[in-house]
Amino acid sequence: MTQPSSVFDDSDVADGTGLIIPLQPPSSAQVFHTVHSEFGHCDNQLQRHTSRHPLGVPLERTEEQDPPYYILITTYLSFVFFICLGHLRDFLGKRWNPELYSHLIPSDGYAAFSSDFDSFYTRRLKSRLDDCFSRPVTGVPGRTIILLDRVSPDYNATFHLTGKHIRGLNVSSYNYLGFAQTQGGCADAVETSIGRYGLSSMGGRMEGGTTDLHVQAEALVSRFVGHEDSIIGSMGFATNSTTIPALVGKGSLVISDEYNHASIRYGVRVSGAQVRMFKHNNMEDLENLLREVISQGQPKTHRPWKKILLVVEGLYSMEGTLVNLPAVVALKQKYKFYLYVDEAHSIGALGPHGRGVCDYFGVNPRSIDILMGTFTKSFGAAGGYIAGPKPLIAALRIRTHAGSYAEAMSPVVLTQVIASMGSIMGVADSPKHLEVSSSASTSTIQANGLRDGSEGRERLRRLAFNVRYLSRGLKKLGFITYGHEDSPVIPMLLFNPGKMLLFSRLMLEWKVPIVVVVVAYPATPLVTSRVRFCLSASHVKTDVDMLLRACDEIGDLLDLKHGHVKERWTVDKIIDNALQIAKDASFS
Amino acid sequence: MEDSALEPLFVFIAYSVSTIQRSFNALPGSAVIVRYVKSSHQNDPFRTILEAILVIFAIRTLLQSRTRSDTTGRHFIKFTANEIDELVDEWSPEPLVPSLNEAELADLASVPVTVGPPGPKPKLQSTGKTAINLASYNFAGLSGNDKVKDRAVSVLRNYGLGSCGPPGFYGTNDIHLDLERDIANFLGTEAAIIYSQGFSTISSVIPAFSKRGDIVIADRGASRSLRSTVRWYDHNDLNSLEEVMQSVAKEIKTKRWRLTRRFIVTEGIFENDGAMSDLPKLVELGRKYKYRLILDESFSFGTVGRTGRGLTELYNVPANQIDLIVGSLANTLAGCGGFCAGSRIAVNHQRINGTSFVFSAAMPGMLAMAASEGIQILTSTPSILSNLHTNIFTLRSILDKIDCITIPSHPASAIIHIQLRDPIEPAGNGLPTTARAVSRRPSNPTSLVPRDLVVFDIGAEEKLLQEVVDEALAQGILITRARRLRGQEALEPRPSIKIAASAAVSKKDTEKAASILKGILTKVLGKK
Ligand SMILES: Cc1ncc(COP(=O)(O)O)c(C=O)c1O
Repeated sequence: MTQPSSVFDDSDVADGTGLIIPLQPPSSAQVFHTVHSEFGHCDNQLQRHTSRHPLGVPLERTEEQDPPYYILITTYLSFVFFICLGHLRDFLGKRWNPELYSHLIPSDGYAAFSSDFDSFYTRRLKSRLDDCFSRPVTGVPGRTIILLDRVSPDYNATFHLTGKHIRGLNVSSYNYLGFAQTQGGCADAVETSIGRYGLSSMGGRMEGGTTDLHVQAEALVSRFVGHEDSIIGSMGFATNSTTIPALVGKGSLVISDEYNHASIRYGVRVSGAQVRMFKHNNMEDLENLLREVISQGQPKTHRPWKKILLVVEGLYSMEGTLVNLPAVVALKQKYKFYLYVDEAHSIGALGPHGRGVCDYFGVNPRSIDILMGTFTKSFGAAGGYIAGPKPLIAALRIRTHAGSYAEAMSPVVLTQVIASMGSIMGVADSPKHLEVSSSASTSTIQANGLRDGSEGRERLRRLAFNVRYLSRGLKKLGFITYGHEDSPVIPMLLFNPGKMLLFSRLMLEWKVPIVVVVVAYPATPLVTSRVRFCLSASHVKTDVDMLLRACDEIGDLLDLKHGHVKERWTVDKIIDNALQIAKDASFS
Repeated sequence: MEDSALEPLFVFIAYSVSTIQRSFNALPGSAVIVRYVKSSHQNDPFRTILEAILVIFAIRTLLQSRTRSDTTGRHFIKFTANEIDELVDEWSPEPLVPSLNEAELADLASVPVTVGPPGPKPKLQSTGKTAINLASYNFAGLSGNDKVKDRAVSVLRNYGLGSCGPPGFYGTNDIHLDLERDIANFLGTEAAIIYSQGFSTISSVIPAFSKRGDIVIADRGASRSLRSTVRWYDHNDLNSLEEVMQSVAKEIKTKRWRLTRRFIVTEGIFENDGAMSDLPKLVELGRKYKYRLILDESFSFGTVGRTGRGLTELYNVPANQIDLIVGSLANTLAGCGGFCAGSRIAVNHQRINGTSFVFSAAMPGMLAMAASEGIQILTSTPSILSNLHTNIFTLRSILDKIDCITIPSHPASAIIHIQLRDPIEPAGNGLPTTARAVSRRPSNPTSLVPRDLVVFDIGAEEKLLQEVVDEALAQGILITRARRLRGQEALEPRPSIKIAASAAVSKKDTEKAASILKGILTKVLGKK
C-alpha cells in the first residue's frame, strides 16, 4: 500500500492550477475543516442554487439533438472498419500466431473459455480504448483525484505502473455531495466507529450480523426518504437484483425502461416474471404499453396479470435524464401498477432537501410503493436501501436472498451513512417521536455545522449551482449534451469512437489535468459514444470555468461542437455571465 | 438480457461481414482500401455509402425492436379504446407481497441484535447482557483486531471511505490492486478479482462464463439460478456426479452437440449443512470428462488448511488445478466482499463480463485493506487456525455424543449444523417416513428432487429449534437457526441450527457453551 506521505506528496504539481491551493484566497472557516484538494473552499453565497422543479409545470421532454450526417456516417464507418480489421487480424493471427489465440480455440477436449465471437468486441474494439478505462487511482476520490500513471508496452494487452502520480480535477466520481473526504465531521465519526465496532458485521442480517447501527441507520433512511420503514443491504447492485425477485414471479409483469441499469435487468431475469420495455422516459409509449398489456393479459392464456411492477430510475446515469415522476404517478393512479423507483443517482443529489426525485418534483414519497437507492454515490459510502410501507419491508427482510444470505453492511459504512445523511437532514432538533434515529445520529455527528444541517444545505446548493452552470455553459459553447439541466450527470456527445480516446487523453494532458469518464457501446447505443461529467458539491466555480475552457479548446480541435443554440457564446462570455446562466429560470 | 443487448452488435457484425466478405474475397488487400475509403469519404464510391446506409437501417430496426410491441402475433386480440378502459377498470392486482404469517413474524422477531461490535462476547439488545458468540462468522477472531483498526484509520485519513465509482471508472485504487495480488499469492493462482459483496460473487461468476448451450453440473445442495443446461447430482455424492457426467457424454454423442463449455459447480464446505467436497476426486473427474471446476469456498476459505487457504491446502491440491475458486472476504477475513481466483485469462474475462463487478461500485478501500491484513495475519500466525481447529474439535466431541440430533457437517467444518435426528412428519398428509430410506434408483439429473427425499414438517422443526436457540440465549450463548428462504428455494433444506466456531472464543468458553447446549438440546428435543 502506498504510504500516506506519498499520497499527499504534491511537490511536483505545478502551482497556479488551483488544484491544491485555491486561486482565490479562502476567507472561511472551511480551511480548518476541509482540504481544498478534496472539498473546494468557496464562500461566495451567490454561487448557490436550489434544485427544484416548479410545481405544476409538466416536465418537458428533452429532445436529443442529432449530429450532422457526416459525423454519423464516419462513426458507422469507423465501426465497420474496426470490425473488418478485427476479423482480418483474427484470421491471420490464428494462422501465424496461434499461441496468442490459444484461449479462444478448443484444446485438449475443453471448449474455449470464451468464444472468439463473444469476445470479439472486447478484443478488437474495446482494447483499443483501454487507455481510458480502469485507470487505477489512489487517495480520496474528492474534488481532485490522483491517478497512478501507467504505460502499455504491448498495445494495451498489459499495463505497467510507472510509479508517477498525476493529480487531476475529478469530474468522474459519483461524489455528488462531496462526502468523499478524509477530513471533517463524517470522517471523524467514522474514525470513532472504527474504534468502537471494528470493520465487519461478521454475518448475515438474520444470523447475528445485525448491530444496533443497522437498526438506527434504517430508521434514519426511512425518515430521510419519507417512507415508513427501510432495509439496508451491503451492495447496491444486489439490493436491486435480490429485491425484484422477491416482489414478482411467474404470472407477474415487469415494465422496465429500456435504459434501466444492469442490476434491475439481472433481478428481473432471475425473478421469472415477464418483462416488457418501453421507450426511454416516453410516457405515451408507456401508456400505450400499459393499455396493451392490461387488456391482453398474460400471453396465450389471456389471464389477467397477477400484478404489474413498473421499474424506473430517478436519474439515468448514462443519459442524465430525470424520470417524469408526476406523469408516472398519474398513470399509476389510473392503471394500478406498482411503482419501483431506483434512486441510485438521484438520492442526495436532487431536490431542495436532497431527498431525491420526489423532493425535486414535489411528489409525496408515499405515493410510490418502493424507493430504492444506493449509498455509493451522494453519501460517499457503499451499499443500498429499499424503503416502503412497514409490512412490505418486513416481508422483504425475510424473503430476499440478500436478507438471508448476504453479509450485513459493515458498521463503519453505516456510520458514514448516518453521519452524511444526518448532516443533510439536520438532526439537532428532531421531534421527540423520532428519538431512536436522531439520538443515533446526534451522537454520531459531533461537528455543529453537521448537526444543524447547515453544512448539508450548503452542499446541496453548491451542487445545484455547479450543475446548471456547466450544463447550460456547454450548450452555449455549442456542444450536444443530453439530459436534464439539473442533473449532476452531464453526458456530452462525442460520436466517433476514436474521439473518445483522444478526448480522454487530451483532457488528462491539458494545462490542468482533468479526469473524465468516456462511455461507449454497449453501455450506450452504438453511435452515441459520450463523455460523462459528474459534478460535485466539492467543486468551486473556477473548476467549472476550467472545465469549460478545456472543453472549448479540445472541442474545437476534435470538431465536437454540433449543437444548435440560439446564439453561441465564447467561453469568456460564459464565464463572465456564470451567475446569470446558472440562475435564470429559463435560460437558453 | 446481456445477450439481447449484445444481439444488435452480433447481427451487425454478421451482416457487415457477409456484405463485405465478397469484396474481401475478391481483393486480398482490402483492409487498406477500407482505411483509404474511410479517410477520404468524399470521393468514395456510391456503393460504400449505400452499404453504410443499409447497415444503419439494420441497426435502427434492431434497436427499435427492443421496445416495439407485438401487435401482430397470433394471440393478439383487438380491442376498442372503450373496451380497454373497461378492462383497465376491472383489473385488480394482487398485493405486492403477501403479508407475513405468524411463523414469519416470529422469525423476524427472533433476529438477534447486538449492541456494539460482534466480538466473542457481544452485548445483546434484547437482554442487555453479553453472550458467548457462536453465531458470527468470526472464525479466525479477526473482528475488532487492533492492528486492522489502526491501519483502517490511516486508510480513512488518506482515502476517505467510499470509492464513489465502479472499478472501470476510477473506482479501483492501489489498495484493491494489492488485495487482488495478495489473494492470488495466498492461494497460488495467477490472478484474482474482487467483488463488493461476497454473496453476489458466485451469481455473477457463473453467468459470466456459462452461456446458452453450455453445460453445468451442479450439486443439489448448492442451488442457484442458472440459464445454461443444468444437470444436478446428488448432494456431495461424487459417484452420482460421475453417473451424470456419463449420461451427459452419451447425450452429447447421440445428439451430436457441438463442443461447449462444461462446468462443475459445487461448494467447498456447503453453507446449507457443512458437508465437505472431496476435492481430489472432483479434480480427477473434471479432468477425465473435460469439465471445468467452479468451487465456492465461501466457508472453507480461511477456515480449513493449516493457514486457512481452504480445500486446496487441506487436500494439497495445487490451486491452479481448479479453474475458478470463489470465496468470501466477509467471513474469516473480517472485511467485506468476495473474490474469484483463477488463471489470468479467466479473471480478466470477468472484468468485462462479470455483471456485478462491472456495474457496481468498488468496495471501500478500508474494507479491502482489512482483507489484505487478514491474509497477512493468517499467514504469519498459524496458531490462529490451530486454535480454531481445536475449538471445532471441542465442540464436535461434545455435540456428537448427543442422541436426539444429527450433524451432517464435516468434522473439520467451522460451521456445524444441528438437525433433528428424526424428521417430524408433516401432519396429516399421510406421507410415509420411509422416504428417508435409501432407494437404489439413481435420481433424475434434470430435476432438483434428490434420490433420498426426506419428508419433514418445516414449521414444526423450526419451532423446536428456535426453542433451543431461545433457551441458549437465556443461558448466555448466542447461536442461531440457519435462516432460509422458505418457498423460494428449489429444494427446501432441512431446518437446522448453525453454530460457528471461532478462534476468538477461548477453549474454556467453547467447552462450557457446548455442554450447556448439550443440556438444552437433550431437554428440548429429547422430550418430544
Ligand atoms: C441505477 C443504479 N442502480 C444500482 C446501482 C448499483 O449500485 P452499487 O454501485 O452500490 O452496487 C447503480 C450503480 O451504478 C445504478 O446506477
